[in-house]
Amino acid sequence: MLKAKTLFMASLPLLLMSSPLLANDTLKVGVQAPITGEYANEGQGIDQSVRLLAEQINANGGVMGKQIEVITCDDEGTAMKAAICAKELVNNEVKMVIGSYTSTCAEAAQPTYFKAGVLQTSDGTSDTLTQHGYWTFFRNSFPNSAEATFAADYIVTNKQYKRIAILSDFSSYADGLANEVEGAIKKLGGNIVAREKVKAGSQNFTPVLTQLKSKQPDVIFFAGYYSDGGLIRSQQVALGIKADFIGGDANDNVDFAKLAGTAAAGAYIINVPTPELLPYDLAKDFLAAYQAKYNMMPPSIWTILNVDGMRAFIHAMETNKSFDTKAAADYLHTLKDYPGITGPISFAEDGNRVGSGYMTYEIQADNSYKIVYKQ
Amino acid sequence: MDIFLQQLVNGLTIGSMFALIALGYTMVYGVMKLINFAHGDLVAASAFVGLMIYTNVLGGSISLFSVIAVFLLTAVVIAIVGVLLERIAYRPLRSAPRLSAVVSALGASMVIQNGIMLLWGPQMRIFPDLLPQVYWEVGGVIISLIQVIIMLLSFILMTGLYFFIEKTKMGTAIRASSIDQDAARLMGINVDNIIVLIFIIGTSLGAVGGIFVGLYYRGITFNMGWQYGLYAFVAAIMGGIGNIPGAMIGGMLLGLFNAFIAGYVSSTWFYLYSPHCHPYCPTNRYSG
Repeated sequence: MLKAKTLFMASLPLLLMSSPLLANDTLKVGVQAPITGEYANEGQGIDQSVRLLAEQINANGGVMGKQIEVITCDDEGTAMKAAICAKELVNNEVKMVIGSYTSTCAEAAQPTYFKAGVLQTSDGTSDTLTQHGYWTFFRNSFPNSAEATFAADYIVTNKQYKRIAILSDFSSYADGLANEVEGAIKKLGGNIVAREKVKAGSQNFTPVLTQLKSKQPDVIFFAGYYSDGGLIRSQQVALGIKADFIGGDANDNVDFAKLAGTAAAGAYIINVPTPELLPYDLAKDFLAAYQAKYNMMPPSIWTILNVDGMRAFIHAMETNKSFDTKAAADYLHTLKDYPGITGPISFAEDGNRVGSGYMTYEIQADNSYKIVYKQ
Repeated sequence: MDIFLQQLVNGLTIGSMFALIALGYTMVYGVMKLINFAHGDLVAASAFVGLMIYTNVLGGSISLFSVIAVFLLTAVVIAIVGVLLERIAYRPLRSAPRLSAVVSALGASMVIQNGIMLLWGPQMRIFPDLLPQVYWEVGGVIISLIQVIIMLLSFILMTGLYFFIEKTKMGTAIRASSIDQDAARLMGINVDNIIVLIFIIGTSLGAVGGIFVGLYYRGITFNMGWQYGLYAFVAAIMGGIGNIPGAMIGGMLLGLFNAFIAGYVSSTWFYLYSPHCHPYCPTNRYSG
């Protein structure tokens, strides 16, 4: 009896080792996203949509005969965990990584993927992401600077606000966006009365908002994430601050309106088109498939942008007829107008996605979005 | 001037929540000399239990009855969890070195936090608007119905607790157990029962605090207990841990401190002064 048990225990490591050997002829795709934590909603959206795309590709025979295997690592939205995830995914021998949702997490993982020659695509909009010169990194969204130009134009030229307050959290995305917007507004001659920072996830924003109230702003621009933005909007109205609220792109999530409650109506959000507004057939098909599989819509456009990043990677490998990541990157750096779910995909030499189409939405009483300004 | 008063109202509101939560820490420490790290997570759990009771048991109808029922039922459920926690995680370690109990408390904290995640999912949940969104403007200061209820109910609970501890026989037994457990036993006090009582009171106050968090901020996440636990812990220390009126005052002071530092110094500097880990700290959970 004891002998049988010992024998079993001894063979256990062998059994465990044999499974990756069997799975060696798959194309491994890593997902690095906040599956838990404050941005869980977005992280799960990225994971679900990558798995859906993988399923679709596998059903059509895979990539050059290889089935896609998705490996997910939860970075919890923290830089520390992101660095660990990067090592874990590289050890799992992934060829490409989709994620992460936040710029901070994407940036923390970048050097690891670069050293390992693993392709990475993220929706992070922080300008610094593409300034390190990593050939492995491709941004599937549009950088902060593009959004800042649009936002400043809307605030100063279109709405002609006289007393502008800018609020952000401390993250590299939000702080970066707020600084870009501040610069762009100053360039257009706008009057900024306050520039404050809040701590993401701290829930209580009334001290900062009360201080803002004394500056009598007629607009508050918030660069930061929806989980804070919704609460800030709600607390702003509760404090009787009669300023318009404009949220940056990361406020675009279904939870924003839920958190803001009745205060959501009348808030503005600046972002690229939401998934429902995408005019492309690819988008309609993908959203229908997503709805059918998960019985919900993707939480935001970010989910879909990440899927486009992955589609571009696979397109590059198929065109080159090789799984070599360097060759794929070289091809991608010159990619022009590859049809994407979120519009034509073109990459610049530094891995930035080219082109942008920002819009301003106003949230209606039924929490739907209405386009009020377009580029 | 009205900015000052507004910050005062806001500070007292969050201060009341901190104080309610801090009482659980300080009472447990007073008798058991144990820092119950799981307390913050019980607070988070109570927000989720309150949400579940509202949607699943009461069927999502808003009335005065459902508001009272949410508070009472949640307090009962969380008190039971608190008693179980004491029975499973702390009582077996009563005679062990104190560090073992602290490690057990940290473990219990993780179990509860992950338990919430498994039961209700990792994403943010939205707490229902149990109370109407009513605001009054008094001399330039905006005050909401929710704020009034938070301050009033906290005040009533805290005064009640104070008189219970100071004036009743049971309260005297609690005080005696916190001074010297062996001498209390010699006087015929069943210290085990006192500890159970402490857990019932402490966790149900925390449960009320947890529902306040949900009502006031609307968004609740499975790992928010860490943040409120930390605030309440600091409040309890400020008031002299083990000292019940001290924890109430400590909580209020911390709330006011929060409001005024952000209001008058700078929001950027705020996190250096507050117990909240400042933004560049490596253990910071949300670096964005």
